[in-house]
Amino acid sequence: MNILFKIIISLFATVLFTSSLYASQNLKFENVLSENFKLITKSSSKTIDPVIKKLLNTNAPIVGDFLKKWKNKKLYFIKKTNSIVSLKEINTNGYELVQFSNKKNLGFFKKAEIKKIKPNSGVRSKISNALIGFQLLSTDVNIRVKGLETLSRKFNPEHLTPLKNALAKETNLKIKKRMSQLLIFGTIQYSQNENEIISSLKSLEGNLSIEARGVISSLLKNKIFVSSQKPNSPNLARIIIPGVTLKNSDGSSLKPSFYSNKKPEITKQEALKLLINGNYIKNYISPSKRDEILKKNIKNKYVENIPVETLKTDVARIKAYNVLVSLGKSPPLMTDQDIDTIINKHFFYAIYDEKSSKVINTAKEVFNSINHKVNFYKYLDLILDGLSLTSIYFLAAIGLAITFGVMRVINMAHGEFIMIGAYTGYVIQLFIPNHTISLLIAFPLAFIITFLAGVGMERLVIRHLYKNPLDTLLATFGISIALQQIAKNIFGTQARPLTSPDWLDGALVINDVLSISLIRIAIFVLGLTFLILLVLVMNKTRLGLETKAVTQNPMMASSMGINPDKINMLTFGFGSGIAGVAGVAIGLFSKVTSELGSEYIVQSFMTVVVGGVGNIWGMLAGATMIGMLQKFIEWFNPSNTLAAQTYMIIFIILFIQFRPKGIIALKGRASED
Amino acid sequence: MKSIFLNYLNSMSSFFWITAIIMIITISIVVFSEAYGLNFVSTSFVKILGKTLCLCIVALAMDLVWGYCGILSLGHFAFFGLGGYMIGMWLMFERTKSIVIESTQNNILPLTHNEINEAIGTQIFGVVGGAEIPMIWIFADTLSIHLLLVLFVPGILAFIFGWLAFRSRVNGVYLSILTQAMTLGLSLYLFQNDSGLRGNNGLSGLQNIPNFDNITQAELSIWFLIASSLTLVVTYFICNLVVKSKLGNVIKGIRDNETRIRFLGYKVESYKLFVFVITAIISGIAGALYYPQAGIINPAELAPIASIYLAVWVAIGGRGSLYGAVIGAAFVSLSSSYFTGGQIPNINFGIFTLKWVDWWVVILGLSFVITTLYAPKGIGGLVEIMFRKKQL
Repeated sequence: MNILFKIIISLFATVLFTSSLYASQNLKFENVLSENFKLITKSSSKTIDPVIKKLLNTNAPIVGDFLKKWKNKKLYFIKKTNSIVSLKEINTNGYELVQFSNKKNLGFFKKAEIKKIKPNSGVRSKISNALIGFQLLSTDVNIRVKGLETLSRKFNPEHLTPLKNALAKETNLKIKKRMSQLLIFGTIQYSQNENEIISSLKSLEGNLSIEARGVISSLLKNKIFVSSQKPNSPNLARIIIPGVTLKNSDGSSLKPSFYSNKKPEITKQEALKLLINGNYIKNYISPSKRDEILKKNIKNKYVENIPVETLKTDVARIKAYNVLVSLGKSPPLMTDQDIDTIINKHFFYAIYDEKSSKVINTAKEVFNSINHKVNFYKYLDLILDGLSLTSIYFLAAIGLAITFGVMRVINMAHGEFIMIGAYTGYVIQLFIPNHTISLLIAFPLAFIITFLAGVGMERLVIRHLYKNPLDTLLATFGISIALQQIAKNIFGTQARPLTSPDWLDGALVINDVLSISLIRIAIFVLGLTFLILLVLVMNKTRLGLETKAVTQNPMMASSMGINPDKINMLTFGFGSGIAGVAGVAIGLFSKVTSELGSEYIVQSFMTVVVGGVGNIWGMLAGATMIGMLQKFIEWFNPSNTLAAQTYMIIFIILFIQFRPKGIIALKGRASED
Repeated sequence: MKSIFLNYLNSMSSFFWITAIIMIITISIVVFSEAYGLNFVSTSFVKILGKTLCLCIVALAMDLVWGYCGILSLGHFAFFGLGGYMIGMWLMFERTKSIVIESTQNNILPLTHNEINEAIGTQIFGVVGGAEIPMIWIFADTLSIHLLLVLFVPGILAFIFGWLAFRSRVNGVYLSILTQAMTLGLSLYLFQNDSGLRGNNGLSGLQNIPNFDNITQAELSIWFLIASSLTLVVTYFICNLVVKSKLGNVIKGIRDNETRIRFLGYKVESYKLFVFVITAIISGIAGALYYPQAGIINPAELAPIASIYLAVWVAIGGRGSLYGAVIGAAFVSLSSSYFTGGQIPNINFGIFTLKWVDWWVVILGLSFVITTLYAPKGIGGLVEIMFRKKQL
């Protein structure tokens, strides 16, 4: 009881105290308003800063409200008394106004008696800057989040203190975390206290976010200077030798190495320009200026007795110009050697914008440690990228593993089966709008359609050509171009969409460097499923056993009661059907066109040949090698994926020199054909 | 003596027939041409004929390497394209140079060599965002070197590729796939903008021969027709010589049973390499004649599909007989341009209209399947049957 009483008493006392405090602050606020009346009503972004500062310094609770209304153009002033008021409402009696600090009703005014305060956009942005502090203290979570969002876009030095205050009062953990992050960034950028900056920097160690990296690298900004003396600054970033040294990302200099394809930071030409701009070279006559002067001195097609038509080479032009120089008609030229010696005489260097060398060193340390981590994740990303390309190649080639790998039938129309699968998926999506269900139907349907197509092809064409693989290649090629053209006739040349379900749209975000799109994971899983399925079918089922028997020795197989015709037909159908299912999957991430299959056909054959014909594991190895290799080559030359494919093909051609039978070669009798 | 000569003549009989037919066609076209004759035949038709003759040349090469040596190369059209690129570089460079010089004739100072090259660079490589002339163009102002490059670039590429492939005894379908990969690699390389050959824009304006500005396209087309038919005749003669010689017998032996020929002591690899390189060079020459008539070359021309079409022509014409290759190439490419040219009225089946432009490729593909299945000797086989009947 006693305790409760004490609490009530103390609460009461606090309320009394604060209210009296508020009253005095409000008075102060009103004073500031009236003192700066002119500056507020006729505001300009140049003069408004001190006013806002003064208003904020009053610490009056209504400042936030005031600023908000000011920004939203809801403030008025009474022309007679020059007092700033807010509007309660407009009705038939006129404008009902309220005094700002104590909400005292001032009664009705006519339109002519008052005037709206209209700050321009520059002023408004300054006001909203000042408002952030109030937003951060708002009781509404959404407003606080909004305030933080604005803050992360533009952080000004004056935000540091309000942010600190807000952080101390914040209770929402998520917002608190974000606030402390922003505080660190803000401190690094604007704090005057060296130790504070360094401790903030250290807290960023290992932080991979783009924001953090941006903040740190902004500390390491540096500018290039030229001088005739040796630079003597503690904040020297690097000495630059034109045409030689490279720039490291932390601002230090990097010696060129034979394996790096980076270009020198500045070329000799750029160095020359720097020297000219820095007035270290005066009266430089560039070749174009030289030609201008020559042109000016042409008289009757002659430059001082030298006919114009002989000035066809640089040497001749220099000679003619030197004649002009000797006559005192123009300033002398500089030879390349002169330029070189001048460049060598001068020092080119970069100096950090940041003054404190302690801060720079810490920033470098943290920057490099983050960079190491970023690089690690980039390699990881590269490997995952390669893995997903691997699974794509694997998917595209898996049907071939059966038709070509096991049956030794070269089916150039394999790519078209992939295309048929993709179009099947597209057509089903036309009828069934739900992407998940349509996909679930598309997979088996694509299998059935391409299975039947494969069986038909085997019966009509391939059966007659088993003894002549080259002819099979040609005949299936004929089918391939026919199927492609038919697809073009039906669906047109433009790409058709095969949309993946929504739940496959996102990405698995691990950090700012590494994220894996879900569709790639799905394809990887699908590839894995196929691999297991294929291994099971080939090793554990009767069809697999009989297929192997028929391919190894059809005569013997048929004398054991196996019908080779039937087995060949089924196996070919099975391989084609798998191609169709793969087609649905491939269509999900690439556009469905009639040329979809032909884009993959060469790579698919490569995959099988490189891996080793007749071996599923070999094919897996082949797909891995090709996929990884392509990604690695792309990584060396990221702008150019086409060249990467070329180099990969060259590599494969060379690889086959050394392992003509592929990575995993069959041994024994089966390898002999 | 007489009988030897007769034998010789007999072995050359198809050569004389083909020569006679080509000469008759060429001469009659010249007589009826727009430029030098009675103006019955349009220039565009003359160009189509000239191009067809070039395709016949490359078909001959394909027949030699596939029909006679058994190497189903899916890369000979790439050699053809390379030949076109080599001559195209010179044509484009010199043409641009003459344009640049002409447009700067009124300049006060005559241009230096560097300034001319800069202007040419921006003219040619502006489309791919470049201004400098790449290293591979250093000889582009010398016709003689580029004529040699027409031979050597496809030849050396074929030599390197063939040496690698034959050495490690890559055979049959594997070799086909490998050649196809080579073609794909080459075309992908040319597709990129910094290949130095204008990426997918390719080389254009090749129909204008530099320094021959006052000669009309009509006259040029006739010149090229004559050049193409002469080259075809010469190529046919050489191929016939090769085929009918002992070398030809060895090559055919390799096709039929490579192992046996190797056991007989022949260096199978060298023979194959020889045929592969020679045919690549022939293809390059054909390309160098073709593309000035076509006017433009781009990497799509080198795509694997083009090389496969080449195999289609030879297969339909009849592999293993030189005249078959010529007939096949001429027949299929002429009928292709006829059917896809939109000159044939569409057939209306009521619910469905058969547009030749759309369905020609389907028909071609299926007829190709049928040829492979039921007439492996192609049109050439029919000719043979006809002649046998006469002899009987």
